[in-house]
Amino acid sequence: MSTSSTDRRTSATGGGLPIVPSPGSAPPSPMTHTWRKRRERLTAGTFMAPAVLLVTAFLLAPFVWTVYRSFFSDTRTSSFSWFDNYSLFASDPALSRSIQNTLMWVVGTVLLPFVLGLAIACMTNATRWSRLARLCVVLPYALSGSAVAVVWNFMLTTDGAVNQVLTTLNLDSLAQGWLLTWPGNTVVMILANAWQATGVAVILFLVGLQSIPPETLEAGALDGAGSWQQFRHIVLPQLRPVSIIVIGMSLVNGLKSFDLIWVLTQGGPGRATETLAVSMYNETFLELRPGAGAAIAVVLTVIVLAASWLYLRRQLDVKGE
Amino acid sequence: MTASSTPRRAAAPLVRRRFLAGMTAGAVALAVEGCARGASTSPQPGTTSISNDNATWDEGYRSAGRELEKITGYALRPLSNPSVTSYQQVVQMTLQTSKASDMVKWASGYQLKRLARAGGLTDLSSVWGQYAAKGWVRDATRETMSYHGKVYGVPLYESYYVLFYSKPVFRKLGLSAPSSWAELLHCAEVLKRNKITPFLASQVGGWPAIEWFQELVTKVDPRFYQKLVAGEASYLDDAARQAMDIWHDFMRKGWMTSPDFDQARGPGALKAGTVGMFLHGTWQAQGMSAVGMKPGADYGAFILPTVRPSVPKSVITESGVFAVPARASSHAAAMKNVGAWLDPSVQRVWSDFLQDSSANPTVRSSNPVVAELQRDIARERRLPLIRYWEASPPSLIQGNTNDLGGFMAGQTSPATTLRRMQERAQDEWAAWRRDEA
Repeated sequence: MSTSSTDRRTSATGGGLPIVPSPGSAPPSPMTHTWRKRRERLTAGTFMAPAVLLVTAFLLAPFVWTVYRSFFSDTRTSSFSWFDNYSLFASDPALSRSIQNTLMWVVGTVLLPFVLGLAIACMTNATRWSRLARLCVVLPYALSGSAVAVVWNFMLTTDGAVNQVLTTLNLDSLAQGWLLTWPGNTVVMILANAWQATGVAVILFLVGLQSIPPETLEAGALDGAGSWQQFRHIVLPQLRPVSIIVIGMSLVNGLKSFDLIWVLTQGGPGRATETLAVSMYNETFLELRPGAGAAIAVVLTVIVLAASWLYLRRQLDVKGE
Repeated sequence: MTASSTPRRAAAPLVRRRFLAGMTAGAVALAVEGCARGASTSPQPGTTSISNDNATWDEGYRSAGRELEKITGYALRPLSNPSVTSYQQVVQMTLQTSKASDMVKWASGYQLKRLARAGGLTDLSSVWGQYAAKGWVRDATRETMSYHGKVYGVPLYESYYVLFYSKPVFRKLGLSAPSSWAELLHCAEVLKRNKITPFLASQVGGWPAIEWFQELVTKVDPRFYQKLVAGEASYLDDAARQAMDIWHDFMRKGWMTSPDFDQARGPGALKAGTVGMFLHGTWQAQGMSAVGMKPGADYGAFILPTVRPSVPKSVITESGVFAVPARASSHAAAMKNVGAWLDPSVQRVWSDFLQDSSANPTVRSSNPVVAELQRDIARERRLPLIRYWEASPPSLIQGNTNDLGGFMAGQTSPATTLRRMQERAQDEWAAWRRDEA
């Protein structure tokens, strides 16, 4: 279907010439037709070339080089070492912890923005103060990850704002080094991330809610459905396309989370808060093991691509049926 | 109407093409301008460029450069990249290009050895020889700036690791700078009793985690430290265990700040009287001035006493270096400038700017606190020891620093931390020696 529409568009505008032959004009010869087709292809190729070249030079070529580098050791001579760099995932406790943290981040960044975003969108969709409430929730999304991290650092250090408030309220026993002990430090960073990422989920869910035809809700009400039943059986199914986007985006964001962690803890203390993205950076640029870093990058890329593809393929297929 | 609308429609593609052509030209111009930024390392008459990872030193380089210009005809043009990590990457990459800057600020020891091993640095042995003949360098530091017998760096600065303290706070509590281990413990107890955290300890930014480790090991046994960082002793030996136990004990007593205390706040905390003593390099003197503390009046500094009186006295020394890339844009000018860098007239300006000691032993610091430390080091004949960060292969140090950070956060016990450090030391020393072979 898309092919035929493309063909129609192409023939209607190709070369900027009119397609309807004027009365009395001769039909185009086969030679002219072939030449025109070639010209169209050339034009299409010319338009595509910059994008293709840029993607090849800055994405595909470095990726191929990274895969190649991951099979070489990090000694001075960089000899071919088969899968030695990949075996670090089994032997290095820091990388095991990194995988644990990445899984925690994926679960946290998918669940929290989804649940909070949906709840806030539903609660603020039709209230008087909804605009103000929405603004408050959406505002952090406009901040950069690093700026968010600086703000949370001010809150979470041992002598930071959170502990000072707890001490003022005589809750000294609850005051602690929020960024110092695992898994608490990873959990508070996931919460900080959710604080920022919920905004975009709210926007998307609001768009979804406003596109739901009110007749469907009225019909449900007439049939005696309560609020929860209306939400569960009428609203939620119609939010499915938006949910797919929110979860898909959160999934990828969770897997590649870096900036917040880097500014807050730099993966420390003692590599306790590293995710795979941080481990990749740490191994390559701080521990000076580009081979190990390349192996982590390859594994991370494969996981991100596989998760995105599996999720989106399944969800979009269902939607397309 | 039809007649009038036809020309407008025909003109539309032309307008669009012009617009697109304009946009393309603009994009190309921006790209060219972006690429032209690489020209910052290109030769500029009368100057030599310096790659630098501390933007707050730019003014100092310019001031020292004006003195250099009187001698060599070339001033200094600092190019700063304040992120240490990205700075290291940029320098290592540009060394392989024809756009290398003329002089590069780098760390000494194994950091310099690794850079020299990769090639691309100029042999500065003859420059060192000239300095040594004039007595402008300490021969003891030659090894930390050499690789396979050739010198690849000239000293940029020389700092000592000391404990800064607030004189008004000590005076108020009836304390004085401790000269023995027992006096140090007494100071800590009195400060703690007065709700002042005795010692600043931090692992924010990674590397500060080494400070207390290197300090305590060297004050338990400086000779052991020398062997340890040379890969000739074990992290499981008694001296290392003893140092870690002391550190652990300090932490349990609440004598150390929380490990997420940012050192940038150290001078302010000292002035406010919330922290008693701040272990750091003497280059921190500049930070003390920044919060309005006057040397000698508001703050003093002392070197950590040895744990036992019989232990030889030592001091941890940090030396940055200037290296000259072999493919420096203005190589001849750079060689002239490194050849005159330690001239006393240049060092006078540079040392005054840093408020720190000069790498030229004939130049006395104008900061009375640092000058007193220099006298103490000479009088006590303290053994100069290279800072831990530069003392062993970089991969080993980076990994061990992470382990020490974990120890500070209470993740691992002293024994577990040392075991991990030793395991890494075995692997990384084997790798370094294999690479050397």
